[in-house]
Amino acid sequence: MRRRDYLRSVGVGAAGIAVAGCLQVEDTGDDSTATTTTDDATTTEGATTGGTTSGDAETLRVATYDSFFGEEGTAGRWLKAAWEAEHDSTVEFSAPSNGVNQFIERKREGVGIDADLFVGLNTGELVRVDEALGDDQRLFDELAGEVAASDRIKDDLRIDPQNRALPYDTGYISLVYDGTTVEDPETFEALTTDEYEGALLAQNAQTSDPGRAFLLWTVHEYGPDEYLDYWQRLVDNDVRVLDDWQPAYDAFLNGERPMVVSYSTDQVYYNDEDQLPRHQVGFLNDQGYANPEAVARFADSDEPELAAEFVEFALGDDAQRNIAVNNVQFPATTTAELPEEYAQYAHEPPESVTFTYDELAGNVGEWTEAWARQVATN
Amino acid sequence: MRGSRRTAASAWATLSRAADRFALPLAGAGTLAVLAAVFYYPVWTVFVEALGPENPVWAILTSEFYMGAAHGVFAHPLRVPGDVAAWLAEVHIVAGWTGLLPDLFVVHPGVRKGLFGFTAYQAALSTLASVALGLPGAYVLARFEFPGRRTLQSLTILPFVLPSIMVVVGFVATFGQFGTLNGVLSTLGLERVQFLYTLEVVVLAHAFYNAPLVTRMVATAWENVDASAVETARSLGASPLRAFRDVVAPQLVPALAASALLTFVFTFMSFPIVLALGGLQLATVEVWLYARIQQLDYATAAGLATLETVVSLALTYAYLRYEGSQSADGTANPLARHRLFDASGPREWLVRSGIGVYGVVVAAVFVAPLASMVLASVGGLEEPTLRWWRFLVDRQASGGRTQPATAVRYSLQFGVAALAVALPMGVVVGAFSARGGRGRKVVDAVLMAPIAVSGIVVGFGLLRSLVFGVEVGDYRVSLVGPVVVVMAHAVAGYPFVVRNVAPMLSAVDSRLVESARALGASRGRALWDVELPLVWPGVLAGAAFAFAISIGEFDSTVILAGDGVYTMPVALKRFLVDRTAGPSTGPAAAMGTVLLAVTAASFVVIDRVGGRYRP
Repeated sequence: MRRRDYLRSVGVGAAGIAVAGCLQVEDTGDDSTATTTTDDATTTEGATTGGTTSGDAETLRVATYDSFFGEEGTAGRWLKAAWEAEHDSTVEFSAPSNGVNQFIERKREGVGIDADLFVGLNTGELVRVDEALGDDQRLFDELAGEVAASDRIKDDLRIDPQNRALPYDTGYISLVYDGTTVEDPETFEALTTDEYEGALLAQNAQTSDPGRAFLLWTVHEYGPDEYLDYWQRLVDNDVRVLDDWQPAYDAFLNGERPMVVSYSTDQVYYNDEDQLPRHQVGFLNDQGYANPEAVARFADSDEPELAAEFVEFALGDDAQRNIAVNNVQFPATTTAELPEEYAQYAHEPPESVTFTYDELAGNVGEWTEAWARQVATN
Repeated sequence: MRGSRRTAASAWATLSRAADRFALPLAGAGTLAVLAAVFYYPVWTVFVEALGPENPVWAILTSEFYMGAAHGVFAHPLRVPGDVAAWLAEVHIVAGWTGLLPDLFVVHPGVRKGLFGFTAYQAALSTLASVALGLPGAYVLARFEFPGRRTLQSLTILPFVLPSIMVVVGFVATFGQFGTLNGVLSTLGLERVQFLYTLEVVVLAHAFYNAPLVTRMVATAWENVDASAVETARSLGASPLRAFRDVVAPQLVPALAASALLTFVFTFMSFPIVLALGGLQLATVEVWLYARIQQLDYATAAGLATLETVVSLALTYAYLRYEGSQSADGTANPLARHRLFDASGPREWLVRSGIGVYGVVVAAVFVAPLASMVLASVGGLEEPTLRWWRFLVDRQASGGRTQPATAVRYSLQFGVAALAVALPMGVVVGAFSARGGRGRKVVDAVLMAPIAVSGIVVGFGLLRSLVFGVEVGDYRVSLVGPVVVVMAHAVAGYPFVVRNVAPMLSAVDSRLVESARALGASRGRALWDVELPLVWPGVLAGAAFAFAISIGEFDSTVILAGDGVYTMPVALKRFLVDRTAGPSTGPAAAMGTVLLAVTAASFVVIDRVGGRYRP
């Protein structure tokens, strides 16, 4: 109970201070959804607010993932409300079922992109986009030059040498462990010792974000030649690689195993006195693997300037704080500050590591497949 | 006046005769058109990748990772005899004496199964487990009478509709270290057992999904056994066991084989549940297929899908040949049921105590995971709360993106509409398949393809073909929206109607149909008036499955429907990733409970209403 109330008060509190009027816009928008469009299958979220603004307002179409904008209290909802309060244009979110792959496929098949921005891109995906489409087909175009705030993005989060993808927040992959059952392993090596036999839950790097980040972290630590040996020792020590974060975390919550690969913001949800000991964050070798989420503009966008303006807005201090809190992540810029109550439970690693675009290009696919084949030897 | 009336009457008669004559061909043509549009064409756009210059099928067949030891057959066939001989030379039979008993065991070098080998292995185990768990259920439902039997029978296929993530949540809560079962064990003073992340628990989860299939299909066949045939056998001096073996069993075996086949095909293509309860160490072909699609390696994905489909269709064809060789008479005169709570004599008591033990197993495997999901929706026993239900109410009231009531409404609409399309499709194909030789069996097997093609491939094909559309002149015509969703659901569900109806149709005495035809009835009229009433239980069972498939369907719904059109599983998934409620599975569990309740009520209604309107 408390964790949710806490989160809500932080989220709404910050929004309330910054843009007291916005929430009302969203409310009226939502009312009109309820009364006029429940039967209309094709009306999407953003289109409904057209009634409250002028009829020929521009529309910015943002493709992203479900949980970014699904419900009230998400980063996407906040952005939409805050943006629409200040601008004479509408934000329309959509969540294609297979993420950025859908747009790669559209580009390949010559089908219209029908979106202006993609929100939620990570480094590996950007590499995949480029490897799939080659140089002659550009899915995204250069954006940083049109967005002044991109100068404030933290150096270690700049993932795209071509300045197309701009990070708007980041998570740090870490271990979450039950301190009442196990000690902080502290090092990668410790995970292969008897003390941690059968203790760790990880995720399939082929399909899960934290799973892939954890794999890349081990590659970062042991190098492309040694990481498979390390994983063999992990597998011998009975690590379990489940399909996704949710089942792994659910098993952790059920006490099935005392450690899970997860995010360093875990305590934002679990900070009761009786919960804290069971939700300890472990940074292996004093590191955390940064997994920045980026926004990029489609080269085929009909509204390139509006899109750049929106990104500028999303990188502002207010937006950065709200995105981070609502998405339970950290800001991507150097100037944004987190509310104290939030920062107290969202831990940043002493050292942040991540692979750059150039390091992943040509490698990430092979690393992942070789790893998966090694784990899945039947 | 009179003249015109007569003309109208005769026109009407001509019309209805024409309808009579053309109904069946038209329904057949409609079936093929729907299949072509939302299945064969989309799937073909993916499979065609397997024919590319890289020759992915061959690459897979010759890879040790995919094929295990069997890759040698393709990679270097000439070395196979030598390899086998070398392997056999390493096999030792060890005989010893343990002190009390002679001890004999075989030592042999390991055989690498490969991805395909392991996938087939776990599917075979899952099929065995499903039959072992499902068959006693069919016996109890078909042969005993007890209060609530009909409702229970309607509810048997409930597990079928549950999204896998909820099954995983239920299984962790039931079979986990601190789950219900281990709780019982430790109260009894026994040691806690590690169930999760083993092959056993994956097999059990597969049985959770598929044993109901066995129960429902075999029970339906059992109810269709002609009591008088058994009585005749008995009066001729056959013992009850003998009568069962010679009269009853031959009529059950086709249904049993059909359900076992479906179970094998399903578990062969199982995906999320394997990874969530077993881990990547127990990866199946489908896991790889999904990962390859994610990595845009369509050639390998298509190669894997092609081989999967070849295996499934080959098995289907083998089964159909076998089904065709069976014949038995259907009936409207079923065997009388025994009363479950009324036994006399030690033998009957023994049978009933066996049923009691079975009931305990059912409670552990089926009821406990379902109950723990319902329990999770109220926060468990220790900290009961209504906040997840309040969450659903809030979502409804806020008029946000995902409203539970809207999801229920779409689910029911899609379910009913898909049923309305799948039933005629299934009956027409069933009638086509029931009579006819080898050639028809080939066609029938191909028509079963919707169950034999990976769901991931179907979804991807739908995206590429229907969503992206086809270029017609300057326009791109794409085919999406609720109607297409219904078609996709119907295509996924109709094979169940066929497999429930066809064995019973082929059991109908063909002389009945022939005499109807001789009296002037069209083939369609004969099917409607003569055959359907005789196989109605099969139609009903098929209807329940088709409805269940529609309710549980996820992939094509998300791909084909707009953002505002969502069903219960889609809403559940959205609530699951909805972090505004924290990382809890509570909201999803509450939505899952709604799904369970709505579906349960629907099943009961289908059986009751359907039972009343037997044509």
